[in-house]
Amino acid sequence: MAKIGVFVCHCGENIAAKVDCTKLVAAMESHPGVAIAHEYKYFCSEPGQESIKKAVTGHGLTGVIVAACSPRMHEATFRTACAEAGLNPYLCEIANIREQCSWVHSDGEQATRKAIEITRSLVEKVKRNNELQPIEVPVTRRALVIGGGIAGIQAALDIANAGGDVVLVEREASLGGHMAQLSETFPTLDCSQCIMTPRMVEAARHPKIRLLTYSEIEKVEGFIGNFNVTVRQKARYVDMNLCTGCGECIIKCPAKKISGEFDCGLANRTAIYTPFAQAVPNKPVIDSGHCIYFKNGKCKACQRVVCPTGAINFDMEDELVELEIGAIVVATGFQVQNTALYGEYGYGRYPDVLTGLQFERLASASGPTGGKIQRPSDGKEPETIVFIQCAGSRDPSKGIPYCSKICCMYTAKHAMLYHHKNHEGNSRIFYMDIRAAGKGYDEFTRRAIEEDGAGYVRGRVSKLWQENGKLMVRGADTLLGRPVEVAADMVVLATAMVPQSDSKELGKTLGIGYDEYGFFNEAHLKLRPVETATAGIFLAGACQSPKDIPDSVAQASACASKVLALFSREKLEREPVIAQNNEATCSGCWGCVLACPYNAIEKKDLTDRAGNLIRRVASVNAGLCQGCGTCVTFCRSNSIDLAGFTEKQIFAEVMGL
Amino acid sequence: MSEPFEPKIVAFVCTYCTYAGADLAGTSRLKYPPNVRIVRLPCTGRISPMFILKAFQKGADGVLVSGCHPGDCHFDHGNYHARRRWTAFNALLQFTGVPEERVKFSWISAAEGIKFAELIESITEEIRTAGPFEQYHKLIAETGSAASV
Amino acid sequence: MSIQEQYRSRAKELLREGTVKMVIGYGAGTTPLRRRPIFITSPDDADRLVLDAACRTNLAGYLLREGLLADQKSVAVFLTPDGVRTINILAAESQLATEQVIVLGFQIDGENARQLEGTRVADFSGIIAERKKKRKEQPSHEVARKLEQMTSVERFAFWEGEFSRCIKCYACRAACPMCWCRRCVVDNNQPQWVNTSSHTLGNLEWNLVRAFHLAGRCVECGNCSEACPVNIPLHLLNRRMTEEVLTAFDYYPGADEHQEPVLASFRKDDPETFIL
Repeated sequence: MAKIGVFVCHCGENIAAKVDCTKLVAAMESHPGVAIAHEYKYFCSEPGQESIKKAVTGHGLTGVIVAACSPRMHEATFRTACAEAGLNPYLCEIANIREQCSWVHSDGEQATRKAIEITRSLVEKVKRNNELQPIEVPVTRRALVIGGGIAGIQAALDIANAGGDVVLVEREASLGGHMAQLSETFPTLDCSQCIMTPRMVEAARHPKIRLLTYSEIEKVEGFIGNFNVTVRQKARYVDMNLCTGCGECIIKCPAKKISGEFDCGLANRTAIYTPFAQAVPNKPVIDSGHCIYFKNGKCKACQRVVCPTGAINFDMEDELVELEIGAIVVATGFQVQNTALYGEYGYGRYPDVLTGLQFERLASASGPTGGKIQRPSDGKEPETIVFIQCAGSRDPSKGIPYCSKICCMYTAKHAMLYHHKNHEGNSRIFYMDIRAAGKGYDEFTRRAIEEDGAGYVRGRVSKLWQENGKLMVRGADTLLGRPVEVAADMVVLATAMVPQSDSKELGKTLGIGYDEYGFFNEAHLKLRPVETATAGIFLAGACQSPKDIPDSVAQASACASKVLALFSREKLEREPVIAQNNEATCSGCWGCVLACPYNAIEKKDLTDRAGNLIRRVASVNAGLCQGCGTCVTFCRSNSIDLAGFTEKQIFAEVMGL
Repeated sequence: MSEPFEPKIVAFVCTYCTYAGADLAGTSRLKYPPNVRIVRLPCTGRISPMFILKAFQKGADGVLVSGCHPGDCHFDHGNYHARRRWTAFNALLQFTGVPEERVKFSWISAAEGIKFAELIESITEEIRTAGPFEQYHKLIAETGSAASV
Repeated sequence: MSIQEQYRSRAKELLREGTVKMVIGYGAGTTPLRRRPIFITSPDDADRLVLDAACRTNLAGYLLREGLLADQKSVAVFLTPDGVRTINILAAESQLATEQVIVLGFQIDGENARQLEGTRVADFSGIIAERKKKRKEQPSHEVARKLEQMTSVERFAFWEGEFSRCIKCYACRAACPMCWCRRCVVDNNQPQWVNTSSHTLGNLEWNLVRAFHLAGRCVECGNCSEACPVNIPLHLLNRRMTEEVLTAFDYYPGADEHQEPVLASFRKDDPETFIL
């Protein structure tokens, strides 16, 4: 037998001025199933809440309606009060008679009538409310960080320093990502490796971080707090326990003409190699695609002749590592856009047309030229360098309408580094805008212009060709209103920052969304920028959108805080407004599985006692369901339902109007 | 002396956008006619065509269904599913002869308090002009249960 | 050899070799122009099979009879391309596996039944693609066009008239191969979304809801209209839904067995001209 308590709040004059609360109370008192109806000035106040609690216990109420302000204001307040009085909080509903009644209607009589109907319909709803218990899900306190660049390292260190276990998975043979390739970083011109390598070492040595380099994510199953991840550790052909990192094998390897990825093709490497001298771990891998032994069975010099500890093992195989993980941080970073997009800029045709990252390698003290800016074609120092900003970004016709965020800054930096190394040098930077919004950023670009003499030209480049040993660059100078031609010795293209080429595959493996470019989707661009729609998976760094180092580090720490919040409890408590399936009437058509934005519905086998499959039905994962109800509306047979907004509740609410 | 006809309008809205927009209309003290009754759902994905039929059965003269703009759904893409559903059901209702002005769909965000108020105003006026949904009310009366008009 | 003879011997062969355990086809009806479904399990009975222009019912729904396909054996069915589309949709909705279906394909052209090549549903994808093209170009039914030209009040009056005759026998549901829910929405009384009484209101609700549940799933086989004992032109509602999903979403149900249900998928650029 329903015993609903209706509490009509005056909210001072906010409701009472328009809605006749006494009349509302009287109307409710005579409504079937209502045990008591009271009115009060401010039910959200302490005495107000106390009176509700007293009424709950005193009358043994089976449900509570508070007719007051919007549920978005105080539903939580009143539900907590009910819980404290021993009534399941989900047996409390709020009738909005302020924002959607007293505040928006001029006629008191009509407002009162509306308030009565609204309250009445919610009384009918709450009669069909079920007691709901928060869902508890256990949590494995181990985080997986995918990507060992600056963002991944930051997240791993933050979590590990707080006592959480971390497994840090990096695809390449060494940590470092793109930041390790940089020479100096804006806006401070810190040496990139100087600030990075201590972090890399700290991450490698941290007792709470398990480092899996040269490894990739193979499979991810499970849900928040309870992921099962399979990592493929690719065969290094070098035993990490025996190798001392002496580097002799690298020196003696006869396969020396392999284009080095770390130097963006500006220098060669050997088949057995470490990506760069400061690699962490500083132990080599064998690139089986180029190793002479793997190609034709000969050589094996490193093993036969060189290695003092017998660490080289050509019979090694990939290993699959199974991990139990509670939270995942995705920090897979970016790659530099293929510059074939702009054929008119001659990348690939002229050896002295470079990407920004290649210029970094030239400028880097540990780079292929020891930090000297010199032309790949003839090794000469360029007298004039043309930098072209937006070489790929902000161009819908090339499929990249977004801004890559970092190029204005690194181009200014490149110009500065060039001028520092070559005091007589000339630079021309073709730009559309100078985007320097960060702390110290605008001052940095002004410095490039005013102190170092970088020559900014506002306009785009239309054509680039070779003439008399020079690269002729024709563009527009829109501020002076005329075309301009520059005879350059080197051209640097600020190419777009794009996601990793396989980011969409990783997104599918993880079950997280991505946009048309492959950047991963955050749960809400402004208010939930590090979460994804999949509970327990977070995003840090450029894999989410183009960003610089400060923002990547900040976002990584934000991820760590989310992960640590998750780990701070033994069990994860989730709001029980989730879907539930009636397995008896479900036909297993999987429309709900498909429609669910959170991949929260699984296919479950119904078996008989002998273990034979009877049929398969939908089953909701309580850890993943967010309670949108899209599945419910799809289900033609009314099998799946949404707690808190059940079919019966809504039917009663509508029919109670 | 009969009262002038006042339409009964039921609005099914999502919590995170249109309901919040309606609240904003309230906090901004905008004024709109008191004919509408709002039913709150978590997402337009949860709004079933059945609700529309039941609203009419309860004597509604008009129904509004409203939620987050495409791309802004709090639950990622519930509203994209809703949009397809509305397209099909709307076509079916119109083919069956339910007048187009009696079933409306809209995208109203949490920031669009003014749009909400103005839309309620215009829908209420449109239906006041169209008159009570007599054809449906007759069918309801036939079943013997009185509609609360 | 007539198509009927060809298919009789094909049926015998399939049963004799054990390729299928049953052939579902048409047999003589109670009057010369009626046919009824027959379920042949022995090659000797294959001579009861009839195939001519009077064979109009979509037989696909019989595959869903409880337990029929549970033993993983195959069943052969006489199907037009629309029947094949039905199989595709049922497979896409996980109600059967196409590996268990052998198609005995045919097409009715005017007075004659014509054989169609192919044994598996995949063999008919070309024909189905053709039908999609044709369906797009097909104008609306004559009655539908008349309805579109009426005012909504007139249109409502038309349907009120039609639905007042509905007796809630649910023959339309029984005949429809796509109505396979373990518990139909109208049979749910907690809550009772669709009134079960045969007042016009409940009849309107029932037929609207059924048409909606078939949006993007109906192959326009006509089983429902044929089954209706009071001759309500149900097919008009279903045709309108078919045209809507085709125009709005370029969706033709049953194109293949992996097609996602139209209402469980979406495109970001789905049309929304009617949304304020």
